[in-house]
Amino acid sequence: MAETMKQTVAGILKTIERYNPANLQTLERYVEMQSRDNTYDLEANLAVLKLYQFNPEKFNADITCQILLKALTNFPHTDFTLCKCLLLESVAENETISQIKYLADILEQCDFAQFWNRVHQMPELCSRINGFHDSIRKFVCHVVGITFQTIDKNNLANLLGGIDGMLFFTFVQ
Amino acid sequence: MYSSDDYNEGGYESYGDYEPHTGDPQYDLEYDRSYYKMPDMVKKFLVYFRNMINEGVTYEILNLYEITFPKLTEQYFENTPWPDENEVAPIVDNDHVFMILYKELYYRDIYARVPGGPKPEQRFTSFYNYCDLFNYILSAETPVPLELPDQWLWELVDEFVYQFQSFAQYRSRTSKLSPAEIEALNTENKAWNVLCILNVLHSLVDKSNIKRQLEVYAAGGDPDSVAGEFGRHSLYKMLGYFSLVGLLRLHSLLGDYYQAIKVLENIELHKKSQYSHVPACQISTSYYVGFAYMMMRRYADAIRTLSSALLYMQRTKQLFSTRSYQNDQINKQTEQMYNLLAICLVLHPQCVDESIQQVLREKNYHEKMFKMQYGDLGEFESCFTFACPKFLSPCPPPIEPGSNYGRDAVKHQTQVFMDEVRQQKMLPTIRSYLKLYTTLPLAKLAAFMSAARGGERDAAREHAALAIHLLCFKHKMKNVVWTQGPSGLDGKFQSGSELDFYIDNDMIHIADTKVAHRYGDFFIRKLLKFEELNRKLHHIKI
Repeated sequence: MAETMKQTVAGILKTIERYNPANLQTLERYVEMQSRDNTYDLEANLAVLKLYQFNPEKFNADITCQILLKALTNFPHTDFTLCKCLLLESVAENETISQIKYLADILEQCDFAQFWNRVHQMPELCSRINGFHDSIRKFVCHVVGITFQTIDKNNLANLLGGIDGMLFFTFVQ
Repeated sequence: MYSSDDYNEGGYESYGDYEPHTGDPQYDLEYDRSYYKMPDMVKKFLVYFRNMINEGVTYEILNLYEITFPKLTEQYFENTPWPDENEVAPIVDNDHVFMILYKELYYRDIYARVPGGPKPEQRFTSFYNYCDLFNYILSAETPVPLELPDQWLWELVDEFVYQFQSFAQYRSRTSKLSPAEIEALNTENKAWNVLCILNVLHSLVDKSNIKRQLEVYAAGGDPDSVAGEFGRHSLYKMLGYFSLVGLLRLHSLLGDYYQAIKVLENIELHKKSQYSHVPACQISTSYYVGFAYMMMRRYADAIRTLSSALLYMQRTKQLFSTRSYQNDQINKQTEQMYNLLAICLVLHPQCVDESIQQVLREKNYHEKMFKMQYGDLGEFESCFTFACPKFLSPCPPPIEPGSNYGRDAVKHQTQVFMDEVRQQKMLPTIRSYLKLYTTLPLAKLAAFMSAARGGERDAAREHAALAIHLLCFKHKMKNVVWTQGPSGLDGKFQSGSELDFYIDNDMIHIADTKVAHRYGDFFIRKLLKFEELNRKLHHIKI
């Protein structure tokens, strides 16, 4: 099921069909699938944003939020910036999108404590994306790994969003 | 006769040298209207031009296109457009294809030269002329018997995208439009539609099989083996290739950097190939690729792309000096590339070729870079707005008088870039301290940082803030860098900047990886030059 979907989408993206608004529904369903199954396809998501750019009346804030949150899960890659460049100028007024942008901003600045703080304040937003927290933790591990030779255990647990016990050890590895 | 009404505003005074003028502009205007005859030279040129195109003599066509046409323009049409189609058609036996090509040049000339730019209806007719041309080329069942020099084909595709851009800008200047113009724009919504442009470029790419050809070529095979009936023809092949670059430009204008880079898959930018002999195309490609990389925070890739293009231009400068009409654009793009390079080098200090370094030192880039290093956000912004492409809103709303959305696209992209710069604001300061040491205790650096800022001290908070900045430093300086493979999007994380560090307990260990400049090459070059000079001097007999 998921595989066929992926193939269909890949087929759409290869041709000029990627600009056809009639395909928007399929692509949007694909975004929701990614949120649910913890998979990721940047190119398809950018195609959705592009369709919104070309057809502003079809803009869907909810899907856009999912795309942006998914982009956060792919740090340290700059997917979020790529998405941001394609957002409509009018989107700036959307409250949730502004919040996600703020999350991205502090994540880019590696202010992880602040980031987790924010995330915990809006649990329903991020929990829609399966595997969201773990993906971010992976990014934290990446940055800490390239910066520190040794680091205090409590400090690290903090940066990872206050996890302990077994979970902590799976990440430390 | 001359349909003079179209040209009333052109402000033409002189048609050249065949009859003395009275000096009274009003009288001369009347005179020109009623007695205007196309100069014989121009007539001859048109007939000859057409014959050469029909016979497919590309080198002669190139000559006529690149040299004779601009020369005649200067001589006979200094302040006016070329004669319009009704006048030219009888001279060339109503040759359908030639007339399309002629009109392409005719409108392009208006866009480039006529004061005040093209009129709205000229924008539309130019668009429909492009439609005719591409229909002729694309809907044929067998490849059309037409051969044009690559230089022309490149400028044709580039101009097509340019005129789209120009139309979008014109449309967005709502406050300057008259009600009649707005009415015309709102009813005529098919012309210069973004989907149309995409469709044309994609069709040219598909028809020529250029992607497959490039793939085979990159693998060392013979592209003709997969080109198919159309793709084997030079016209289709080159149009396909240039359309890829056209797409790169179009995607960049719309802020879609991912597609911009992706569309160039299988094109190896830094290698000479059979496709890369049109300098303007090479330069334009490097500019847009470099820009896209910069926006993706792939500074090492951006620096590599930009500096290799600039180096190429330094070495081939003489090539460009002859053709004046291409020069303005190339010069402007060069300056934009130096600005982009300056930005990238501030954000990601790295060694570049000595001769590029020299230009950056000599021209006023030095001051700009200095300001940016000290966190002058205004300087970043002005460098960026100067160097960025002229972004467009793809889907402008119906025009209402007074609304002004035109600048939004530029503002939006600038905003995204400035967000990135703000996130990195502390890094140059940290770098400047780290440069001085090989090991530095965290607490000491924290003290430096707060001393620089002034105000009250709070050791714990300073420490935490510093840790965040250091993490950010490492995160931002580790870029995806292309190493190999067909796609410019691929790459590995590397820290290519000249300063690196790691933290062990409370100590920062710093490695300055700055490579010493290669003075050797420089001296050898100068020595050879000197010897050459010496030899010449000895040969001079007085």
